[in-house]
Amino acid sequence: MEQQSNYNMSRQAVSYVELNSSLELINSALESISSDIGGIYSELEAIDLKQDQLESELTKLADAFAAFVEADSKHKTLQLAEIRIGNLRQELQVKFGYYGEVRRMAVGILQGVDTGVVSNDTLKCITEEVMIKAPGYWLAPVLVALAAWMRNDKSITEKALNEALKRDDYKTTLFFMLVMRRLARNEASMKWLERYFIHQDPKSLDREFVVVLEAVATGIFLPAARQLMMRNVKSWLNQLTQSDVLINNQKFRWVKFFEELKPLSSDVNDKYPLLKKFSPNWKDLKKSLEEAKKHDAINSYFKDIISSSPADFSKNVKVQLDEILSSLVINFDDEELPLQEQIRFNQLVIQMDGDKTAAQAKMDAEKSIFEKKVDFLELLNNACFNPELLGATRAIKALAVSISQPWIIEAYDTFTAQARSRIPRAVELEIDGFDTYTRDGSDENELLESQEAFYQDVLETELNKLSFPYVGVIIGALICLLGFWAFNLHIIAGIVGLGIGGVLTLNTVNNYNRAKKQIVENVEERKQKAKEVLRGCIAEVVDYRKEHSMEDSNAEKVRQLLISITPEDFSSVSKETARQIHITK
Amino acid sequence: MARIILQKNVNLETVKKQTVKTGFISNRDILKKRSKKYLDLIAGLDAKTLTDTKGMDDLIKAIQEEFGTAELADLPLGIVAKCFLGHPYEVHTLDLSRSQIVKHYKVNEAMEADFEKARTVAMHNAYALVEVYKDKIILIREDGTAIKL
Repeated sequence: MEQQSNYNMSRQAVSYVELNSSLELINSALESISSDIGGIYSELEAIDLKQDQLESELTKLADAFAAFVEADSKHKTLQLAEIRIGNLRQELQVKFGYYGEVRRMAVGILQGVDTGVVSNDTLKCITEEVMIKAPGYWLAPVLVALAAWMRNDKSITEKALNEALKRDDYKTTLFFMLVMRRLARNEASMKWLERYFIHQDPKSLDREFVVVLEAVATGIFLPAARQLMMRNVKSWLNQLTQSDVLINNQKFRWVKFFEELKPLSSDVNDKYPLLKKFSPNWKDLKKSLEEAKKHDAINSYFKDIISSSPADFSKNVKVQLDEILSSLVINFDDEELPLQEQIRFNQLVIQMDGDKTAAQAKMDAEKSIFEKKVDFLELLNNACFNPELLGATRAIKALAVSISQPWIIEAYDTFTAQARSRIPRAVELEIDGFDTYTRDGSDENELLESQEAFYQDVLETELNKLSFPYVGVIIGALICLLGFWAFNLHIIAGIVGLGIGGVLTLNTVNNYNRAKKQIVENVEERKQKAKEVLRGCIAEVVDYRKEHSMEDSNAEKVRQLLISITPEDFSSVSKETARQIHITK
Repeated sequence: MARIILQKNVNLETVKKQTVKTGFISNRDILKKRSKKYLDLIAGLDAKTLTDTKGMDDLIKAIQEEFGTAELADLPLGIVAKCFLGHPYEVHTLDLSRSQIVKHYKVNEAMEADFEKARTVAMHNAYALVEVYKDKIILIREDGTAIKL
């Protein structure tokens, strides 16, 4: 039995030792594991860092790559554009090359005609050659006609002319109109002018029309041309003002113009200091007066335009007519337009260093400036506001204004009506808590009375605040009583008591009365000041209304002025010839 | 581009528009000058007695003539004009939409909303009367010219 238990114990001891060593083993193993894990953690951190670095490097690389791709594509576009331009130009040369030659010839012929140096035979040969070399081009038969005309060959002239008109009526008309004018063949240029007008569609006019208009107006063509122009202008106006839309646009522009015009003098603030201080709706009053002052400014504006001397702008206009002529001759024609546009686009691409979108944007902007066709009304309005942008001079301002007169008057009436509807009917006043209003200051007495009443109320409320010092009086009275009772004890005590009581009571009552008086005085002073202010405000209201109606009456003057403007006055350099022209309406 | 004008003499006069004798057709027509008869009648609203049925008939007839065959939607709702009866009367209105009544308003007396917006301009001396429509007002000066607001 003992052995058994000994054996058991030793077995237990053994197992205990074994356990211990095993535990130790496990411990050490755990320690090593934990240190390994620690090592792994730090390695993970290192990897994390590296990963971040890698990511940023990658992003940089991606960005650089994208930039490179972009630059590369731009570069390629650039190269492509240059190649294309080369190709297009070649194509242009092949297809329309002779046009260029004909144009040079045209310029040369015109110069020759001017100087009179070239012989008729040469002209004949050359122009006929041109006919053969450039089929379908309008300028060729035109030149033939010109040459034939110069050597008095009627039949050829007519034939060539017909051919030219068949090919491009409009350009031929314009060309001959300008050439005839240049050569001072007035009647002929008149006939061509007639034809030119017929070509025009009032809903979409070319920009060069303004120059022609100005030329006619300043008398470069015959006086009879002016009649022609006025007749055309009037019929176009009739046509265009049938519908609302076009004319409303122009009216609206003029109304906006009037609204944005600054009055000549704006010292409104200084003239009405009291109203500025005491009137809650001073802002409206000020705005309305400033608006009324605009009538005077508008008056000066139109007077200025009308009286601006019809100086002899004819020289300028002549130069411009010649420019139109040369641009007709030099610039490309419609058939070449697509190719020329592509060339221009590629040129822009090269300019923008391969950026296609920027080039496209620029191209669109260019197109809108130069190819825009406008309707007659808008052309007139542009001529009124910005003649230089259209290539005309100031002289056409007066003519344009006079033609636009009907709707300028309408726009002005609308502007005036709007301004008048905004005139404040009543001037509100707020003086020291007294709220009132007046229309035109004529009810001064009523206002003063109601102000009196207001201050009566103020006085009452103030006095009510001051309560009778019952406490003080009662204490005084009690002390008096005490004094009376003290008489029983001692006379002097009694007198003293009475005295103190009496003095107290009197004092309290006196203070009360003084306070009351003070209040009355204060209110009285406030009232007087406010009365003065009210009077002053009323006086200013009267002045304001007077000034306002004076400025408003200027509107009638402007209206008279506008009505008196007629186009006939402004379509000539000398007023004498204007009076001789009677245009039947 | 290649338009051919072969006729030697081209008539530059455009065909005159067929004007309808009475009534407003387009929006531009509403800005036509008003006739003197019409203006006088409206000016006489102060003097005329309201119970005078013949006077009212004349008035209505003149208005119909002025606006003629225009559609109902194009007729004015009413007319506002400055009142010369004296203080405290300020403006009077002729209501065409309902009962063709002439009503005089005093200072500070509010009119119906449609007419109220025409009050300030009607009071102005430059305008003889104001026609109030559904969507606009037309101011008429003494010489008959019409302005749209």
